[in-house]
Amino acid sequence: MRIVVAEDLYLLRDGMVRLIEAYGHEVVATASTGPETVDALLKWRPDVAVIDVRMPPSQSDEGLRAALAARREVPGLPVLILSQHVEQLYARELLADGAGGIGYLLKESVFDADQFIDALERVAAGGTAMDPAVISKLLSSGSSNRRLDRLTEREHDVLSLMAEGLSNQAIGQRLFLSDSAISKYTTSLFGKLGLTDDDSNNRRVLAVLTYLGLS
Amino acid sequence: MVNVFVGFVRACVVLVVSMLVPAVWAAGVGLAIWWRNPWTWIAPLVWVCVGTLLLARPVCRIARSLVARWTGTVILAGYREPGAVTQLSTGYWWNGYSYERSRRDAEKDLAMRVRWKDPANWRDLRFTAILAVTAGLAAAVPPAGVVTAVLGFSQSEPLLGAIGAVVAVASAPYAWRVFAPVAVRFLRPTPAMALADRVDELTAQRADATVAQAAEIRRIERDLHDGAQARLVALGLSLATAEKLMETDPRQAKALLREARVGAASSLSELRELVRGINPPVLNERGLVDAVRALAMDCPVETAVTAEGELRLDPPIESAVYFGTAELLTNAVKHAHATQAHISIALDDVAIVVEVEDNGRGGAEVSAAGGLAGLRRRLAAFDGTLEVSSPAGGPTRAKMTVPCESL
Repeated sequence: MRIVVAEDLYLLRDGMVRLIEAYGHEVVATASTGPETVDALLKWRPDVAVIDVRMPPSQSDEGLRAALAARREVPGLPVLILSQHVEQLYARELLADGAGGIGYLLKESVFDADQFIDALERVAAGGTAMDPAVISKLLSSGSSNRRLDRLTEREHDVLSLMAEGLSNQAIGQRLFLSDSAISKYTTSLFGKLGLTDDDSNNRRVLAVLTYLGLS
Repeated sequence: MVNVFVGFVRACVVLVVSMLVPAVWAAGVGLAIWWRNPWTWIAPLVWVCVGTLLLARPVCRIARSLVARWTGTVILAGYREPGAVTQLSTGYWWNGYSYERSRRDAEKDLAMRVRWKDPANWRDLRFTAILAVTAGLAAAVPPAGVVTAVLGFSQSEPLLGAIGAVVAVASAPYAWRVFAPVAVRFLRPTPAMALADRVDELTAQRADATVAQAAEIRRIERDLHDGAQARLVALGLSLATAEKLMETDPRQAKALLREARVGAASSLSELRELVRGINPPVLNERGLVDAVRALAMDCPVETAVTAEGELRLDPPIESAVYFGTAELLTNAVKHAHATQAHISIALDDVAIVVEVEDNGRGGAEVSAAGGLAGLRRRLAAFDGTLEVSSPAGGPTRAKMTVPCESL
């Protein structure tokens, strides 16, 4: 994959590039400010971009705004946003266009390199990768609480992993369950929530996120 | 006719009130003349001084209550209040100036000192003098007219009597009206008194703010010391041990490395919580409205936010209002057991107003040691206020108002 990395701190940028290259992907450009990021995204049209939220010149949510600006030019341009903190607010803004190809993770998710690269590939393929912290806040917030109280505990677990963007196979690996068991759970929880199951994993995840009010 | 009668009574009242002090002076002068001894002027002088000082404040109090009753204008008194007295371990009472044997003595002593040092005394004296020659003289016209009329008719001088009666009736509805503007102009707190009050208020606020800040810094230090610092030490230890075991026991070394990674992740999440408590990143990145929206989204009860567009305020005010909102919302969840809440943020020319409303069980009170009183103090540092209406059974409405200018 061709990847753009936008991060203002040299140590982190360098580490990220080395990690990505160690997995055999190519970093075509790096950026360290918001405007540079927009330029790099529009010039290189990468398969996926890894972007830090807080960057110069304003030291506020430059990265987020750069990603949204680039996606307005190139709809569905896959971006994976990294941050020291995750907010439902930002997740909603990222998912608002409903085009997919969105990742939003805490910075420490790079500690588990395999999972991080997996998330990167998922986003590049037009899927989503939401941090478990966003999803757990989302599922425990006021409006979700009532709508989800019909689900069993296991269905709840499956739903939250699905909302993170994982495929049935990946969910099965996390919960130590077989693929067929997972499809049984997904069928029943989709029935309970009144959603139609979709063959495409990405579309299915977006449907779940929409149902939860995140996009 | 009613106007005339009411006006006449009021004029008489004003006359009596305004002439109390001059009457004391007249009595003093009369006394001195009556004795005719050049050396006895001391006693009348003492009489005049003591009488004036004792009467000035009651006259002013009466004047204030009359203005309030007749015109509805409330004039602030601005007298100094004596503070509290404290009992020392020796059993004596300390009132800030002197030690006294009993509480009563201490309070009496303090009341006297405050009474005589009050800058309001000068204002009161000035007012009593001015009152006599302005409103007092004006109010004297209708009674004087009546007296002239009575004298004129009884001495069979009907012209003089008629003039007196006309003057009395014509002037009665207006004569007392000079009183209110004079009182408003000369009886309100002087700028010096208002400044003195403000200085006291600010001194108390500064003390509060300093204490709160010191406590906050101590909390941050403790959190860093027991949290992130300790975890980094543990991390270093794990890494050092893993390095040592790398060749002899690779499996254990790998386990230690995994442990180190988990430790790094949890110290990051601890630091994140700490940072959120100092200054939430979303507040820094997006300002108050979006930060409150983010807060509402994470809240376990359904919370709606209405706000008038984007607004950026001074960071300290923004932070105080944000944490105030967070505290009110937490109260709604924890204490009021609300299932719905509503936050509205509005900014006008002079102040930002944030209202937090819930459908909980109500009964919230601002008690001296409670969280709401603490919030009120923190807002007071910006001249802000907190009003809480929370009848038992709900709903609870809390309104924070902080004067500011939008940046």
